[in-house]
Amino acid sequence: MSSSGDLLHVVTNDNIPAGRKAFGRAIIWGSAAVMAAVAVAQTLQVSGQAAFGFETWRPTLYAYVAWAICLCWGQVLINGEHGKRTLFVLPAALFVISLTVFPLLFGLIIAFSDWNLSSPTGRKFNGLDNLRQMWADPFYWNALLNMVWYVLAIIVEYAIAFGLALALNAEIRARKFFRVAFLLPLMLSPVAVSWMIGKSMLEPRFGPLARLARALGWDDPSFFGSPWIAKLTIMLMDAWTFIPFMMIMILAGLQAIPKELNEAAKVDGANGWRNFWEVTFPLMLPVSITAILIRIIFKLKLADIVIAVTSGGPGGATDTVTSFIFREYRDRSNVGYGTLLAMVYLVVIIIVMTLLMKLADRFTRPRT
Amino acid sequence: MKVELYKAATAGVLSRRRMLQGATALAGLAAMPRVMGYGAAAAQDSVRAQILAIPGVGAGSPTDADWQKVGELTLAATKASVAEGEFAGIELTFLGLNNQNLHNLLFRGFLKPWEAYTGAKINWIDLAQADYNPRLQQAIATGTVDFDIIEMGAPFEGDTAGRGLLDEMPDWVKAQIEMDDYVNYLKAPVGTWDGKTYRITIDGDCHTFAYRKDYFGEGAIGGAEVPKTWQQVNAASKAVVGQTDPLTGLPAFGYLDPLKGWGGFGFYFLENRAAAYAKHPADPAWLFDPETMKPRVNNPAWVQAIQDVMDLIATPGAYPADQINADPGTTAFSQFLAGTGSMLTWWGDVGSNARTSDSSVVGDVVGFGINPGSDKVYNSQTGAWEETYNESPNMAYLGWGIYVTNRVSGDEAKRKAAWSAAAHLGGKDISLWTAAYPSGFQPYRNSHFQYDEWEAAGYDRAFVEDYLGSNADSYNHPNAAIEPRIPGIFQYYSVAEDELAKGYAGQYTSAQETADAIAAAWEKITDQIGRDSQIALYKASLGM
Repeated sequence: MSSSGDLLHVVTNDNIPAGRKAFGRAIIWGSAAVMAAVAVAQTLQVSGQAAFGFETWRPTLYAYVAWAICLCWGQVLINGEHGKRTLFVLPAALFVISLTVFPLLFGLIIAFSDWNLSSPTGRKFNGLDNLRQMWADPFYWNALLNMVWYVLAIIVEYAIAFGLALALNAEIRARKFFRVAFLLPLMLSPVAVSWMIGKSMLEPRFGPLARLARALGWDDPSFFGSPWIAKLTIMLMDAWTFIPFMMIMILAGLQAIPKELNEAAKVDGANGWRNFWEVTFPLMLPVSITAILIRIIFKLKLADIVIAVTSGGPGGATDTVTSFIFREYRDRSNVGYGTLLAMVYLVVIIIVMTLLMKLADRFTRPRT
Repeated sequence: MKVELYKAATAGVLSRRRMLQGATALAGLAAMPRVMGYGAAAAQDSVRAQILAIPGVGAGSPTDADWQKVGELTLAATKASVAEGEFAGIELTFLGLNNQNLHNLLFRGFLKPWEAYTGAKINWIDLAQADYNPRLQQAIATGTVDFDIIEMGAPFEGDTAGRGLLDEMPDWVKAQIEMDDYVNYLKAPVGTWDGKTYRITIDGDCHTFAYRKDYFGEGAIGGAEVPKTWQQVNAASKAVVGQTDPLTGLPAFGYLDPLKGWGGFGFYFLENRAAAYAKHPADPAWLFDPETMKPRVNNPAWVQAIQDVMDLIATPGAYPADQINADPGTTAFSQFLAGTGSMLTWWGDVGSNARTSDSSVVGDVVGFGINPGSDKVYNSQTGAWEETYNESPNMAYLGWGIYVTNRVSGDEAKRKAAWSAAAHLGGKDISLWTAAYPSGFQPYRNSHFQYDEWEAAGYDRAFVEDYLGSNADSYNHPNAAIEPRIPGIFQYYSVAEDELAKGYAGQYTSAQETADAIAAAWEKITDQIGRDSQIALYKASLGM
């Protein structure tokens, strides 16, 4: 064992022969060269410039796997003990890259292609045409505008969730029962909610809620008949499902606030409202922001209820970006354009969420 | 027969005594040929009577054992063309549906005796309906067709036959399955692609008109006669506004247009209206111009159909409150069967559900006919209306078929095996059984409309005649509206639904503007898929 070097972290100090190191480098670069050669051959085959008998992309995949194995093995050959430590991370990193970065790259290639599955000519690169089509697509912009309204509804959902959380945090009878009861909607599948509520309870002739509306004086109840009522009904159904989620997060936050703080405020003469506004609410801001941000992410993916209940109607009033992409991609097999819409939406979500997090960070700092 | 229809045909009409009568009649039929010494035709009748007795009408749902028995009894045609054990060692892959636990599961039972006799082995790919189109399109687009035999709807022929993925039917198969027996619309050109035959039909499809008998007649609220034209349908729909439904005591309504999309399938219902205006007897095309693929969906005929719907939307009380959110499933099952509305167009299931569904209240007052016609028809060639009566029942979806892919084309033994299996499933006698018992398939041969056979098997003749009669009239109509079997046809329907939804919601100023928006979207799809190839394939599908 050596008496110099990084003694704190290195258990053994390998004396690696130069030949072993060279062999390690050789297998890494050799397998990389094989992978590159196979990929080039495959590309030539696909573009019709040569024939190597490669019917699928599997040879390239196998070459990639072989290179990944050689890369890991090479680390140990070249760096010894250090290399073994690298092995704790490297396979996982390669795995993640394989499953995220590559699909993302392939997705980008498809997004900038004209690819309708029914077209006999297959996929064709079409530059920015899909972006231009999106720019002029009234259905997409209508869906994006709807998303703004859907997201704004979260403010109301948050207020209700906060109120429910406060109630459940108080010393009330059957508190445990109510906690479970309030959580039930969250456990339901949105598709089940669509059918149970959207299709059955809100059925305009026999549905119990329609009957109730009639009893309350609404002559001809129609919950999806006009654009704004339809939008509102979808918001309500979605809120009913997801308010419990925000509530449970806020409730967890409330329970983490030390009781002494509220008691101290009370001793200082704060009434209930001031106690809430000056103590509880500021302390709850980080949890609230997290709950709202996660809820926004959920909301931006809203599709299942819309697809099942209204198909985006009437006249696109309840359409969401995801349900529009679903129709474009699945019903119309428009893979290229559908993928581009999804990619653009991903970028929009990332930008909006980043901005929101920055804002939230600035907003919460002075008070905590 | 669709499952619901079977329940309808047997529910309440089959007493023990009646079943014994049926059984006796069948036994008599089965015995007759031997007693009277008839030839081959009589022997076939005997087989037909025997398979109609499996498991016996009203004796519960058929099981795998029953399917195998039917498969065994109908094996004679196979034995005539294939030697025992001829296909030993051959493996085939069969892609189909598993809807309602039928389709592929049924085929498995039918083909077990065939496998045992020929020595071939079949591997199965079962798909849910919702997964079918994506799976098929992806297999085609990525060049990974991994099946030798496929159960497929005729509208997908553009995607498959149009790309040369199918194997042409050998002549011996045509003879074995007795193709001349098909109803008219399933013969050429619909039964063929570009003059060649690929499909073994196993199903028929069409929309028929269902109406409430208590709305029509002397002194009835809808008028003295059942509407025969779309003009009369609209007039009756307006006449009943403000009236009370004679059955439920709730507000009365006329025709139920589905105003919400249904994954493309909702467009069939606008087609029902438009076909009467747009399908000229002298012109096989009615959705596109076959020379240019220019959409006809914005011509005066289609605009009239859209206008008819908009007129009813603009008439307060003509539709139930939430009609803008009603898809075809809603109009049929939540509205018509529950006693809301008096007229509907749909596939065959609605009549059977009228009698069997727990939520149906109209079982005793429902009648059937072919789709309404029109007082005038638009001639696309002259660009003018012709003031003459025209009717054109819509063969919506055209029905399922069995096809063989070109994977087997290079291997003559395998090819013969695949076609033999397909021919067994599409045989004349086996099809009588699928028409009469729960199978998911509707009648599609002229021989299916021999009502005596049905009655002898124990069916309620009045029901069978009513239900089968409207189908037979539609199938054999000389001016039936046939949809184009071009690639991506459901893309056209889907985008039309989106534009129609905007039009119905008042976002376009007129029916013409709505139709123009659909036409523009259709042009885009045509350009994307490839105009020249679409023209060629459309012509091929029309037999031009």
